[in-house]
Amino acid sequence: MSVTNTPTSNDGDALSLQGVTRRFGSFVAVENFNMSIKTGERRAILGSNGAGKTTLFNLVTGDLALSAGNIKIEGVESSKLPTYKRIKSGIRRTYQHALLFDGLTVRETLFLSSVGIHNRWQSFLPIKKNNKYQAEAEMLAKKAGLFSLLDALVGNLSHGQKRQLEIGIALSGDPKIILFDEPAAGLSPAERPVLTELLLSLPKTISVILIEHDMDIALETSEIVSVMHNGKHLLERTPEEIVHSDIVRDIYVGKKQ
Amino acid sequence: MNRFIILLLIICSVLPVFAADFWLTQILSRSIILGVMALSLTFLTAYLGVVSFAQVTLAGIAGYTIAYFSANTAGIGAELPWVFAVLLALFFSTIAGALVGLIARQSVGIYSIMITLAISMAFFYFTRQNYSVFNGWTGFSGISAPSVMGLDLGAPVVFYYVCLFTGALATLFVVKFSSSPLGLSIQGVRDAARRVRAIGIPTSPVIVSAYAFSGLIAGMAGILNVWHQERVSSFSVGLGPTIDVLIISVIGGMRHPLGAFIGAITYVMIDTFAIDLISRDRFNTVIGLVLLLIVIAAPEGILGILKSVKERIKKIVLN
Amino acid sequence: MKFFFIVFFNGLTLAALYFIAACGFTLIFGLMRTVNMAHGALLLLGAYVGYEVVEITGLWTVGIIAGGLTSAIVGAAIQAYILGRYQGDELRQTLITIAISIIMADLMLWAWGGLTYQISLPEMLLGGVRLPILNVGYSSVRLTLMAMAAVTGILLWLLIAKTKLGIIIRAGVDDREMLQALGFETKKIFVIVFAIGGMLTGMAGVITGSALSIAPGTDMQFLLSSLVVVIVGGMGSIGGAALGALLIGMAEQYGLAYAPTYGVVFTFVIMIAVLAIRPQGLLGRSEK
Repeated sequence: MSVTNTPTSNDGDALSLQGVTRRFGSFVAVENFNMSIKTGERRAILGSNGAGKTTLFNLVTGDLALSAGNIKIEGVESSKLPTYKRIKSGIRRTYQHALLFDGLTVRETLFLSSVGIHNRWQSFLPIKKNNKYQAEAEMLAKKAGLFSLLDALVGNLSHGQKRQLEIGIALSGDPKIILFDEPAAGLSPAERPVLTELLLSLPKTISVILIEHDMDIALETSEIVSVMHNGKHLLERTPEEIVHSDIVRDIYVGKKQ
Repeated sequence: MNRFIILLLIICSVLPVFAADFWLTQILSRSIILGVMALSLTFLTAYLGVVSFAQVTLAGIAGYTIAYFSANTAGIGAELPWVFAVLLALFFSTIAGALVGLIARQSVGIYSIMITLAISMAFFYFTRQNYSVFNGWTGFSGISAPSVMGLDLGAPVVFYYVCLFTGALATLFVVKFSSSPLGLSIQGVRDAARRVRAIGIPTSPVIVSAYAFSGLIAGMAGILNVWHQERVSSFSVGLGPTIDVLIISVIGGMRHPLGAFIGAITYVMIDTFAIDLISRDRFNTVIGLVLLLIVIAAPEGILGILKSVKERIKKIVLN
Repeated sequence: MKFFFIVFFNGLTLAALYFIAACGFTLIFGLMRTVNMAHGALLLLGAYVGYEVVEITGLWTVGIIAGGLTSAIVGAAIQAYILGRYQGDELRQTLITIAISIIMADLMLWAWGGLTYQISLPEMLLGGVRLPILNVGYSSVRLTLMAMAAVTGILLWLLIAKTKLGIIIRAGVDDREMLQALGFETKKIFVIVFAIGGMLTGMAGVITGSALSIAPGTDMQFLLSSLVVVIVGGMGSIGGAALGALLIGMAEQYGLAYAPTYGVVFTFVIMIAVLAIRPQGLLGRSEK
């Protein structure tokens, strides 16, 4: 049934994973995972809780070290690079549980991600007005729908607003690949279409990988779906094929295939 | 808050008109010096989120540098023009701060407390045992503040203004630095270190520079302290002063730079006056009880108490 | 060569003392994540009480029990009435114990003055033995100290690994909420742990007062040595404390013998080196 367990690598790929494996003691969280993402590709990753999806993201961004395998981001061998260096290749992510600077304002947060990504964070001099990173911060706030909240403290934002801010951070600097980790989790039914729209509006120069339990959002915004089970890349299908098959349902319900 | 600080500065700058020399030197100047020392700790706690016990060590390194490069009675060192001595002192305290940061960079919470405490005690023992640079446990004495163009910086009124200026400068440094890209990165590490890395910023240099900056501020206090005391020795970097600075920071409140100065004046007042009511010898019991009370009842310190009083008054006025 | 071995045995003796002194600290830290900065004060209190009791009764065993009990009661009271309310707020707990240690140190200075005391040992420990092969004299009290360290270590290990209380406590370290959910009264358990830790610390104080001497400042000296031993060995690990004590005791004695100027500094160099290579300590589990 498996289709993708032969390593394929193409230097034009935005992201290429080969034999990516992570063990925690004797437990294998991600096992021999192969996947290539083409530039501009929209991919969703489905799988039950504990399938290893977030671990996979952590391996791609370097939040966790690989046990084995190989990761190329925009053609750059990144398996051993620390997180902050992988970011320079154009990879961004959002976190499943918003990981934000509660003591800073929205403006400061977006400004910091802008200077961070452009490698201009080292200055200890106060920020001048109308600096280009300030301008980018305001632009990002607009994109994320937080312009009116620029000077609000992040710790005081609502859950939905925090998720928007996560997306704003992910858009800073010229992103090439964005990993979205359950962006819809905890959003109200009214907020979900806004998220879908935002995902669809991303320019085709950006590749997107999405972990999402909301099947409507996942299938509507993706061109290709990867199914993950017990740490393995089980199969790749188009959203249509997924809708018409029992595989995903079986995995979520827990029936053995 | 800014308006309040300016008002405070104006009041402080006219104080010498009313205050006697004893007040200027023993209460006000001393409070500002301790305040700047505590500010270096408050900065680390408020912006990086760690508690460091090494701030007195960093101040002491600046103090020893001044002593070594000034006229002293220990007969050790080389006399340099005071400007160079001051610049060297700040340089060494900043570098020492960076070193402390390098050692403690992977530690937060109680771990950073234990590690910085151990570092400061290592320095304490080192100064007691080294005679070629630190002159053992006796240290240096007979150091006086320099004269600048005929003006003796050590004269009570002049020295008070030097302290006031330094205190204001240190506070300005902290406030401005905290809103710089590096300052924001430091606060980012406090809130979510992983996220800082995920926006392209390595955390180790950020933490090290926070400690280095705190070393600069502590160094400013250390220089004033050696001019004020006219001596520096192993006792200046011992456990006593180390805990005093922590007490000052906690009493004042660690959420805002101003807390350090409020804590310092409170501490000095208790040290000077409240003690007459009990017995001079039981000062530590009094200050220990004050610390206990503050930590239990008002964890945000006097600053926090003032804030809640202000809010309560506001409520009453509005109703 | 003989000198080298004499220093080795001195190091071993000091290590034994450091280990005994650090046990209470590492127990409380390991099981409850509380950094008890009043550890030194509890040690000194136990020593003073032990001294008084030995002076009155003339019985060393009664003295060590009295010293241990006093510190156990004071420790349990601190946990029950003050620290317990802030469980989980580690920083606040640390500050509270600092305040308590300042107050205790000052009150003890009031009660016992600035004098140096030495607790008299039972007569059977006053002699010396001649070590075979090396043919150097070695006082019985030092051998006793090593035996005590070994016994303390083994008892503590048995308590943690083999008793029901130990199992409950260990579960509590890994998952405090689960323990509560299972219906154990964590509050009571933590008071008991603090009492045991205080007991060990108070007894260590009496041993210290017998092997060396005690005076104001002994509290900070042993707080620091325990801190360093535990940082080097690994926070909360009994084996780690033993290893840490051994390293620090040896470093201090060899430092004193071969480079007297910087003897104490070696200790801290070891600590900093360990931190740089293995921040969680030699036998510690990594911080999460």
